[in-house]
Amino acid sequence: MEAELQHLQTEARADLAALTDAPGLEAFRVKYLGRKGLCTTVMRSLGAVPDAERPRLGKLANDVRQDLEAAFAAREAELATSQAVSGAVRPDLTLPGRLSPFGKLHPVTQVMDEVCGIFAGLGFAVAEGPDVELDYYNFEALNIPPHHPARDMHDTFYISDSVLLRTHTSPMQVRAMQKAAPPLRMIAPGKVYRCDSDITHTPMFHQVEGFLVDRKVSFGDLKGVLSVFIAKMFDAKTPIRFRPSFFPFTEPSAEVDIGCVICKGVGCRVCKKTGWLEILGAGLIDPAVFKMVGYDPDAYTGFAFGLGMERIAMLKYGITDIRLFYENDLRFLAQF
Amino acid sequence: MTPHPNADKLVLCTVEVGAETRRVVCGAPNARVGLVTAIALPGAVMPSGMTIKVSKIRGETSEGMLCSEKELGISEGQGGIMELPVDLVSGLELVAALELADTMIEVDLTPNRSDCASVIGIAREAGSFVGRHLTPPVPRELPPLVADNLPFGVQVEAAEDCPRYVARLLRGVTIGPSPWWLRQRLLAVGQRPINNVVDITNFVMLEYGQPLHAFDFKRLAGGSLEVRRARAGERLQTLDGVTRDLTPEMLLICDAEQPVAVAGVMGGANSEVNPATTEVLLESACFNPVSVRRTSRVLGLGTEASYRFERGVDPQLAPQAMERAVRLLCEITGATVVAGGVDYREGVKPRPTIDLRVSRTNELLGLHLDGDAIVHHLSTIEIPAVKQDAQTIAVTPPSFRIDLEREIDLVEEVARLVGYNDIPTSLPMVPMSFPEQDPGRLMRQRLATVMTAMGFYEAINYSFVGARHCDLLCLAEGHAARSCVPLLNPLGEDQGVMRTLLLPGLLENVRRNINFQTTDVRLFEIGKVFHPAGDVQPHEKLHLAAVLTGRRQPRSPMVHFGGVLVDLLDVKGVVEAILESCRLTQVCFVPASDGELAEPDQFIRLVAAGKEVGQFGQLSLKVAKGFGIKQPLFYLDLDLEILAALPPVTTQCQPLARYPAVRWDLAVVVGEEVRVGDLIAAINAAAEPLVEKVELFDIYRGKPMEKGRKSVALSLTYRSNERTLDDETVGAVHTRVTDIILTRFQARLREV
Repeated sequence: MEAELQHLQTEARADLAALTDAPGLEAFRVKYLGRKGLCTTVMRSLGAVPDAERPRLGKLANDVRQDLEAAFAAREAELATSQAVSGAVRPDLTLPGRLSPFGKLHPVTQVMDEVCGIFAGLGFAVAEGPDVELDYYNFEALNIPPHHPARDMHDTFYISDSVLLRTHTSPMQVRAMQKAAPPLRMIAPGKVYRCDSDITHTPMFHQVEGFLVDRKVSFGDLKGVLSVFIAKMFDAKTPIRFRPSFFPFTEPSAEVDIGCVICKGVGCRVCKKTGWLEILGAGLIDPAVFKMVGYDPDAYTGFAFGLGMERIAMLKYGITDIRLFYENDLRFLAQF
Repeated sequence: MTPHPNADKLVLCTVEVGAETRRVVCGAPNARVGLVTAIALPGAVMPSGMTIKVSKIRGETSEGMLCSEKELGISEGQGGIMELPVDLVSGLELVAALELADTMIEVDLTPNRSDCASVIGIAREAGSFVGRHLTPPVPRELPPLVADNLPFGVQVEAAEDCPRYVARLLRGVTIGPSPWWLRQRLLAVGQRPINNVVDITNFVMLEYGQPLHAFDFKRLAGGSLEVRRARAGERLQTLDGVTRDLTPEMLLICDAEQPVAVAGVMGGANSEVNPATTEVLLESACFNPVSVRRTSRVLGLGTEASYRFERGVDPQLAPQAMERAVRLLCEITGATVVAGGVDYREGVKPRPTIDLRVSRTNELLGLHLDGDAIVHHLSTIEIPAVKQDAQTIAVTPPSFRIDLEREIDLVEEVARLVGYNDIPTSLPMVPMSFPEQDPGRLMRQRLATVMTAMGFYEAINYSFVGARHCDLLCLAEGHAARSCVPLLNPLGEDQGVMRTLLLPGLLENVRRNINFQTTDVRLFEIGKVFHPAGDVQPHEKLHLAAVLTGRRQPRSPMVHFGGVLVDLLDVKGVVEAILESCRLTQVCFVPASDGELAEPDQFIRLVAAGKEVGQFGQLSLKVAKGFGIKQPLFYLDLDLEILAALPPVTTQCQPLARYPAVRWDLAVVVGEEVRVGDLIAAINAAAEPLVEKVELFDIYRGKPMEKGRKSVALSLTYRSNERTLDDETVGAVHTRVTDIILTRFQARLREV
């Protein structure tokens, strides 16, 4: 029995040394270490050994098995390493992947979704209005009567005397206020149109209008909401400043600048060396607008603001020619 | 100065340039001994691009060039070389001598602040923010504006059109060029000096913001003026040389016989100041902003004067600007002013006092100012304010602030004076409410997600297109898409009408991409199309369109999938995915042959609830060619308005099968005309409860089958929800199904 064990060990070690590949290893494991392998067979035959001899031989058989298991593991590791070195038939994992086609949203849509997402988070509802608007909503109800010089600020496309392509998303303020009583909290994203076309203007572009109407809404609240927006859209540390401006439908009116995101306020070509970038127009809703929609201007106050999406996308992605947005060149669209 | 030996019209000048002297050949008629002028020395580059060199002119050396204003780009010039003040020191650089090195401050003026369309206005505004007060020019003491015994008169038809009209007569005027300082100031703001009288009126307008007009008094018939609306058929040649038809809503200045100016816009050529003028009637008036704006619009004529009148001019400015201009005219043109003058002022209304509420101001701004602080703030910009009680301040806006009419206007002034950036930031306290989302926007987002997942990039095209797109699409006369909403004032023919289809924009995009060698293109757009709807706003409808061309696997290198191109079944798959993801399973695919945009037999109409909801197919080669596209292109177009209105197909969770399925194949030989879809539909129609699924797995044509026949191999999945199926049960059903196919489609089983 003892000799038989020793023979098994010697023969197995010789077999192991001669192995060169994974199938060989598996065959070895089955022959010696498997459920019906030689080691198991020997162990079973211990039953026929005299009682006195059994503990010693049992231990010996166990030692042999453990020795072979250890040798097998070592040989297995050795073979794995040597195969890596020889590199025989390993797959080339540097080959490009099989990519399913996928596309991307237009950069303007991406920015618009982000802006709407921030205001939705602040509880602003989202509503869209018609692109082809009535003069009444685009101008008159916003305190811009016919022959008001402020109409010069809007190079308007007309369909007829009283129908036009909206020049801003502000008409949605009036439409929303006509439909519902305060409190109101809404943003209105959409396309707007001005007859103007050069490196910084396209005749169609995108705006997001926002407004909030309630009792005791103040200019400080407007500043607060816009500060939250800018911190989320850009960077929490982005400096903001408010400059007096004029819009017929807001008073006081403001233009809002942020510290230049390109040069961090040092001064560069994009910010025209000022360190600041104009990012939006805003103000408290003019009492004349409230009167037009039948709100009591002494009871309610509110603010409104308008953001240009292309402007934000250009700043965010360093786009220098606005016309790129509407050429839909895949080399452009694939970048965002 | 000596004559040129070889040329009659040239002279040889000795020019003192600082400590040096230079010999220069000159041909100017005004070259004379003692003239102070400008010289360009060798090395100087002229505005024309010419470099001055020492050169020989007709055999004589010239060491520079004496320059005219025109050659230096200063003005159009009066002919001849520059004549500079004789007291200038020789040898100075021209830029320094004439103070041409100036700083330009560009002011972006909002339409409400017309008072700042002047040097004085800007100075006053700037002064208030640095704590300094304006010192206006001291006007000359003139005889009062009384109309007794005047050699002229002014009649105003309606005070509403012309609230104020001030006029004076000046005699002994000598027309000539303005002194350098005056010309320099006009040049500095980009205005062209004309003559001393016109330059003075322009200068005072820029200084005060009050437009002035000078008439040649001797050319005014009857020696009197009338301010009135135009009469039908009247015409006037304005100073720009254009003869203009006047309409009855236009306000005119007329003499006894005819119009002599369009009020507040431009003067007439018939009374223009010219070199022979000796008597000037000067107008300083205030016209109705709406009237001026309307006239300026109708005439298509915007001027410095109309810009200011449209935005409103302080009626109190008229006499001030008059006195200033008269003083300059007397000093510069040698004129004397006739005693008295006209001051019509019936349209000038007193400014009402505005009550400013302290609490309202604080509420609107989020501040805690007291009345005294507000009064103080307003006083810094010359707005008189008096506290009535703790809560109310009586404010009388100064005449120059015509924009201050309401309480809110004053609140804005307070905000500006406190400083927007010093107003504390807060967040609104608002009741909680659910922020509703726009349904159209939600649908767009859902579809955009599906489209990008299938390899399409989102395009955004202009909402207006060229009307010729309908021709490029070869749409029949009377096709609904030909009925467009045109723009009255498009930027160009290519953007003349509102789009009725999204496809043309995408096809333009494809052409552009192919031109730039991107030939695998998948683009989609979700946007509005516009259809005329009577007199009011057009009907705006949301559509989804997509185009697909090039390789089927554009993002993977050729090594993986080869260069297989997309075909109709690719776009069909896209449509199936859209419909499935939007749970629009009730939409049917109807192959048709009448697709106007599609190749024959490459067109499928989508129908639901009896309505066409969209279509897809291969773009007809003719249309593709029209758009400059030479490779096969597939398109789809969905009407999202109709799709959104379809009753939603609700989903109920189905229990998962507990028993194994059995798959049996069925291969039949049928005629080519038999459509696979009909085979599958026939099996499904049999409604065998054990048939779970029918799938196509192969189509084979060729030997040993005869021509005109094909073998269609279907895989049928059988399953029961109650037990594991045995061969006998499945076999019985399979035989019934097979019999349906064999009898209905004249099919035979394919021998293995």
